[in-house]
Amino acid sequence: MTGTPAQVGRHGPTRRRVLTTALTAGAAALGAGTLSGCGSALAADDGSTVRLWDPFSGADGGLFNEMVAKAQPDMPGTHVERTVLEWGTPYYTKLAMASAGGRGPDVAVSHMSRLAGYAPTGLLDPWDMEVLAEYGITPDDFADAVWSRTQLHGRTYAVPLDTHPFIVFYHPGPAKKAGLLTADGTLDADAFSSPDRFLAAGRELAKASGKQGIAFGYVTDTAQCWRLFYGLYRQTGGRFELPEGGPAEVDEDRMAEVISFMAKVVDGTANPRRLDYASAIASFVNNQTAMILSGEWELGTFRAADKNIGAAPFPTVFGTPAVYADSHAFVLPHRDHPDEEQRRRTHRAVAALLKAGQVWAGAGHIPASQPVTRTAAYARLEPQAHYARAASHVVLDPSVWFAGAGSDFQNAMSQVLQQALLGGTTPDRAARAMVRRLNTFLSKPSPA
Amino acid sequence: MTSTIDPPLPRPKAAPRSPVIREVAARRRRAEARRAHLSLGESRTARVLTFTVLTVLALLWLLPAAWGLLTSFKSEQDASDPAHWLWPKHGFTLDGFRSVWERGELPLWMFNSFLVAAAVTVITVAVSAMAGYAFSRTRFAGRKTLFTVTVAAVLVPPQMLLVPWFQQMLTLDLLDTYAAVILPQTVAPVMVFILKKHFDSLPRELEEAARLDGAGHFRIFWSVLLPLSRPMLSAVGIFVFIGAWNNFLWPFVSTSDPDLMTLPVGITSVKDAYGVQYAQSMASAALAALPLVVVFLFFQRHIIKSVATTGLGGQ
Amino acid sequence: MSSPLAPSRPGTHPARRILPPGLLFALPFLVLFALFMVWPLVQGLWMSVTDTSLSVHSPSFVGLDNFSEALQDAEMWRALGHTVWFTVLSTVPLVVVALGMALLVHTGLPGQWVWRLAFFAPYLLPVGVVSLLWLWLFQGDLGLFNQLLNALGLDSVAWLSDTSVAMWSIVLTTLWWTVGFNFLLYLAALQSVPDHLYEAAAIDGAGAWRRLFSITLPQLSRITVVVTVLQILASLKVFDQIYLLTKGGPDNSTRPVIEYMYDVGFTGYRLGYASAISYVFFALVILASAAQYAALRRREK
Repeated sequence: MTGTPAQVGRHGPTRRRVLTTALTAGAAALGAGTLSGCGSALAADDGSTVRLWDPFSGADGGLFNEMVAKAQPDMPGTHVERTVLEWGTPYYTKLAMASAGGRGPDVAVSHMSRLAGYAPTGLLDPWDMEVLAEYGITPDDFADAVWSRTQLHGRTYAVPLDTHPFIVFYHPGPAKKAGLLTADGTLDADAFSSPDRFLAAGRELAKASGKQGIAFGYVTDTAQCWRLFYGLYRQTGGRFELPEGGPAEVDEDRMAEVISFMAKVVDGTANPRRLDYASAIASFVNNQTAMILSGEWELGTFRAADKNIGAAPFPTVFGTPAVYADSHAFVLPHRDHPDEEQRRRTHRAVAALLKAGQVWAGAGHIPASQPVTRTAAYARLEPQAHYARAASHVVLDPSVWFAGAGSDFQNAMSQVLQQALLGGTTPDRAARAMVRRLNTFLSKPSPA
Repeated sequence: MTSTIDPPLPRPKAAPRSPVIREVAARRRRAEARRAHLSLGESRTARVLTFTVLTVLALLWLLPAAWGLLTSFKSEQDASDPAHWLWPKHGFTLDGFRSVWERGELPLWMFNSFLVAAAVTVITVAVSAMAGYAFSRTRFAGRKTLFTVTVAAVLVPPQMLLVPWFQQMLTLDLLDTYAAVILPQTVAPVMVFILKKHFDSLPRELEEAARLDGAGHFRIFWSVLLPLSRPMLSAVGIFVFIGAWNNFLWPFVSTSDPDLMTLPVGITSVKDAYGVQYAQSMASAALAALPLVVVFLFFQRHIIKSVATTGLGGQ
Repeated sequence: MSSPLAPSRPGTHPARRILPPGLLFALPFLVLFALFMVWPLVQGLWMSVTDTSLSVHSPSFVGLDNFSEALQDAEMWRALGHTVWFTVLSTVPLVVVALGMALLVHTGLPGQWVWRLAFFAPYLLPVGVVSLLWLWLFQGDLGLFNQLLNALGLDSVAWLSDTSVAMWSIVLTTLWWTVGFNFLLYLAALQSVPDHLYEAAAIDGAGAWRRLFSITLPQLSRITVVVTVLQILASLKVFDQIYLLTKGGPDNSTRPVIEYMYDVGFTGYRLGYASAISYVFFALVILASAAQYAALRRREK
């Protein structure tokens, strides 16, 4: 192949020369910019930076920054450097890979529901409770229901930051008009205490608001259906045993009952039928619906729209009080040879963040540290105070390696449920399909 | 199939400097006109129709990027406003770009991309050229077998090496380092194949003359063959650089540390702490697209030539 | 360049006069080749017969269990199906549209650099940019496509969240992104069609369409084969844009086999099983290459 003849000497500013100069100048500017950036990063990395990974974006992200700022006096000289990664499966994948490589962050936020799959793999290091005690954090500070999930083989693998349950929010106006509030202005749990009553309340709300009653966003969502389902199912008191290797021991009839109820809630007349996560929020915020079934983490969004927003623990529809929740916790990615000083600094930073938990409550979460929730300041928070008591009867995901926030399992379950809610399958068939998928998960070997 | 790629670009406004060049340009224009005539015939309607179709297609193809660019210059509020989706209510702003740039990660990712792509290019071209020369012009035991193995390796998709590479880097404790990202990308059997063919095609007289003068292999390679191969090497180099710059999968798997991410990985993995911001998202996309598009605008001919020739050697 | 690498393969000792100079030249490549192609292939095979996982526990030998599990894994077959489906859906447009573009541009009308830029520039964009852009275009309420549909009085389409539409959306994105490459190849081929063929046809009075079908297309048949083969092989390896646009969803309805391998290995920690899947994928690629090679040979006969 013959090539092009070499460029015969051109004089003056040729295109090539101009570009070369421009590129060099640009590269120099870029290099200077990044090197100075590198410089400051390196300077900070003289050991006083604690690197933290978390999935908190949106309103949560802003509040977390505030919490870090508020915790600063308790961790002098330490700078917490946050990296926010995309929520869900990619977050845990990246965290696991980074921990495997030994160059992960100093500390990371993990959902408690994920611990059963994560901790036994050896990718996490246990916390040093003595060091934490030095900085004022002891196991007594946490509710049993939550603390029990942090333990593996007698060591503590997670320090809880909060509990975030799945609850109900409502506009007080229509709720009052529908006669669903008690004398002191809180939601009348009785009015929702059975499937029929729940559905009737929805119709009343629709009438009172002039639009529709209860919003629930679930279409294409990978977790919403599961959250609603599992909380309700545990309310029925039914078994949900997942022995290793399977088969699952669950009550299919009760499952079908719950699914049938869920399908009736999104009937399309009193309540909207096909909302996805975002449009449900939009519908509630714009007063197209009077009530929404949602995680409490959306409190910030709702309160921005309506200062007087009401909230209540998820009503006990099926007899036994149970509220679906998960918990954010701090975990230590594994290091072969951890720097003692750095570990100590990390413990201190986490202790400081926990003590500043009042800020986190502003996001709607229930701080896990009870010394924070027992303060008068917390009791004054409205409407958080109205659902704080849900923390005493929360249920998390089953403690099995494949479950947990952002897991394939939640997605698989939600997909089946979504079909049932959209009318594609009957509740019986949906229940059977769920059990089938459960057994498939159980049949796979745990990677730990 | 090889051919000299000579895109019939009309010479730009600058007047050519010598009568020879002027004549060449004129001849090219006549050839172009003739080609248009040959393909379309005399029919005016055919011309207009073709022109229209081309324009519509080009507009369609430019639309996505134009839309993204438009969004990047809007304020966040306007970007999420369904009512005024075309023209922003509050006018245009550089806020999106400013926020993205100030976060500080984008320049770092650009630097990482540049470092990785440059390293991969230099190493790959050097190593492949030397190997191509060795297979073409030298003799040693096992040469044919090794070359066959190399060509066979073209069949191996890099995607299937993902897990073993990861395990390898894990064992060597190189995860989340530049070396881990760069090294696996330097093995390019396709380039060795292409360069070997290229060296095969070079005339042997020059070498023989040099050898008579007492030059050894290295001198022949360095002083005789390499200068002759400059166009081919730059074609290979450009292709490798573009591939390395745009590579997603391996950098994605081998780096979890945001400080080490390359541009494509960074902009898709790290989320803003303040939620999904469309204007910022488009701003970061625009900035990430900028380097190669700028290079393309200036090196159009070289890049096109490079892609056309090396592309034929396999992807 | 030095690094704490300990090559375990023989024959990579430092150069001595005993080594022929040719081998010396090829050595850097051969070392890298051995380290990053041969060793991983072997190690992958080894991992596929163990239960290696991301956790810190040492792996144990499991024989062909991973392979038998893979062949019975409905999800894996589904993922392979998605890969093949994507290849089928995308190859035809990517070849035909590229050919059409090249033919139109080759007519030599003024404005050449505009067409070239418009059609080829997307190819230079990294997949991260392409996916961010098209995620925004496909966005349910605010994206351009649905805005345009609504403006015309039509319903919005759930581009990426409707299982029956998602793969088509991905194909559309891929078409926009990579057609420029094939377009260039076709353009180069068109430019090498000898002029005299056209002149002769013109003298014979053949019209433009006759010339197209009797001269141009037959002359392009070889490059078409090349382009198609390259395209099929490239499409089989798809991962990036599907992962970034839908993460394999909705409901894993678009997940290609490479992403399944990634999910099983890195999300599910089961590196051994993932290796087995990668070898199944390799078999698919070899099969496709062999089939195409056989078809090529038959053509040339």
